[in-house]
Amino acid sequence: MIGSSAQLKNRDGERVVDASGKPALIRIVNLEKRFNTRSGETVNALTNVNLDIREGEFISVVGPSGCGKTTLLRILAGLEQATSGVAECAGAQITEPRPDVGVVFQQATLLPWNTVLENVMLPASLRNDKSEAVFTRARGLLAFMGLQDFAKKYPFELSGGMQQRVSICRALMREPRILLMDEPFGALDAMTREAMNMELMRVWSEEKKTVVFITHSIPEAVLLGDRVVVMSPRPGRISEVIDVDVGRPRSLQTMGTPRFGELCDHIRTIFGAQSMTATSL
Amino acid sequence: MSKNSSSNKNRIQSIVLAVVLLAVWEGVCRVFAISPIVLPTPSSTIMSLYTLFASGTIWPHLWATLFEILLGFVLGCIAGLVVGAMISLIPAFERLVYPYLVALQTLPKIAIAPLFIIWFGYGLTSKVVITALVCFFPVLVSVIAGFHSTDKDQLDMMKAFGATKWQVLVRLRIPSALVLIFAGLEIAAVLAVIGAIVGEFVGAQVGLGYLVVTLNFSMDVPGVFAVLVVLSVIGLVMHALMRYAARRYIFWIRRSEAPVMT
Repeated sequence: MIGSSAQLKNRDGERVVDASGKPALIRIVNLEKRFNTRSGETVNALTNVNLDIREGEFISVVGPSGCGKTTLLRILAGLEQATSGVAECAGAQITEPRPDVGVVFQQATLLPWNTVLENVMLPASLRNDKSEAVFTRARGLLAFMGLQDFAKKYPFELSGGMQQRVSICRALMREPRILLMDEPFGALDAMTREAMNMELMRVWSEEKKTVVFITHSIPEAVLLGDRVVVMSPRPGRISEVIDVDVGRPRSLQTMGTPRFGELCDHIRTIFGAQSMTATSL
Repeated sequence: MSKNSSSNKNRIQSIVLAVVLLAVWEGVCRVFAISPIVLPTPSSTIMSLYTLFASGTIWPHLWATLFEILLGFVLGCIAGLVVGAMISLIPAFERLVYPYLVALQTLPKIAIAPLFIIWFGYGLTSKVVITALVCFFPVLVSVIAGFHSTDKDQLDMMKAFGATKWQVLVRLRIPSALVLIFAGLEIAAVLAVIGAIVGEFVGAQVGLGYLVVTLNFSMDVPGVFAVLVVLSVIGLVMHALMRYAARRYIFWIRRSEAPVMT
């Protein structure tokens, strides 16, 4: 599924269809990102990244720090520009943040001077949409996340897990087609993290979004993803894309199945092989 | 609940401490027969305080000084807020004026006070100007620091959800800056009292600073102490008002994290 070999272009040359016949919602071709450090060195954050993401797909991106996974997400979010290559969404090059994309950051990044409800409604209020529908949608999302009693509270009155759930509500506010998540549960403790994983799967199965989920946890990547994109550092690149052939619905028990273990081991082997080459160099 | 009762306990303890200290002071003065010109007793200070108010002597001085403090504080803060915001938001303006402001900041403002008396006269104007100048810098610095304190992740978040520059300013940068701005206002509130008094020391016909100087000349040290009590009450009230405002407008900062006066 990597690369553009399996893609077909239709007559207007814009909409891309992959081998399975479903249109690719996000298309990444030969993406490169280089930074200049203060000492004048050039760092290759991303090199030759190719990936097609279908509508409704859950993509996990896993890799050690410095592999460029956050840079990739920032480019998809329109917060950063690629040095060269293509990052397209629904046939249009991503140059700025898109209204049909919701982002969840590692930190909940709620505005501390706004109530939970105001925080959830932020994406709508930034577009001057103060309709009754916005209010209803925000209330509905909070209820969906079990936070209906906290609408009038302020973020500092909430636990870390609850704050991150609010930020997921905020990302879903304007019913985005795509949800970009940058290690959203990285700052949470292990128990809360597992609960949040279950919560996210519930959200995904009901709202049917296309999700790009970045993590440094291998089990989390396998548990959540339809496919796992394994990235490696120096230079940041995709080492392998793995189809997670584990049926849904998945639960925490799924993590005890042999196939799940095999997939995790396989990914670990990729990282292990890399560190071996790194030491031999 | 328990937090409240423990803070009440602390309050009682500090009141007890004050009473004990005053009693020791009084006792030492009486036992060693210390001259009131060197160190007046608390009781004679309280008597002087009573006389100052009962005779009405203090009122014109009190009003003059309060006027200087409040007007100087308000003007200095407004100027600090406006210039600070301009420096933070207009890069060209920053390059133009910032070096001069740093140079002016390093100058001890109190040393300019005699000049201000020449320029603005012996009246209230010169004291208001000195007070405003003394308040200006801490506010200016806190505004600039405040606008620099915007969280990078929150900035990304606002951009990702399509915020315009104006929305980023109003909904993120200004509220973020408020935390440090209030710390600057708190410092300015206390400095305002100093500014007004220094101005009056240099040359005045009315005011609590002027009153201290004249009472000192007539060796009325209990009277000087009485005026000092009034001045510290003014300082405490100014500080408490700023604290109250901070708690109200930057409520999301829990008390333990609130800016502390140095």
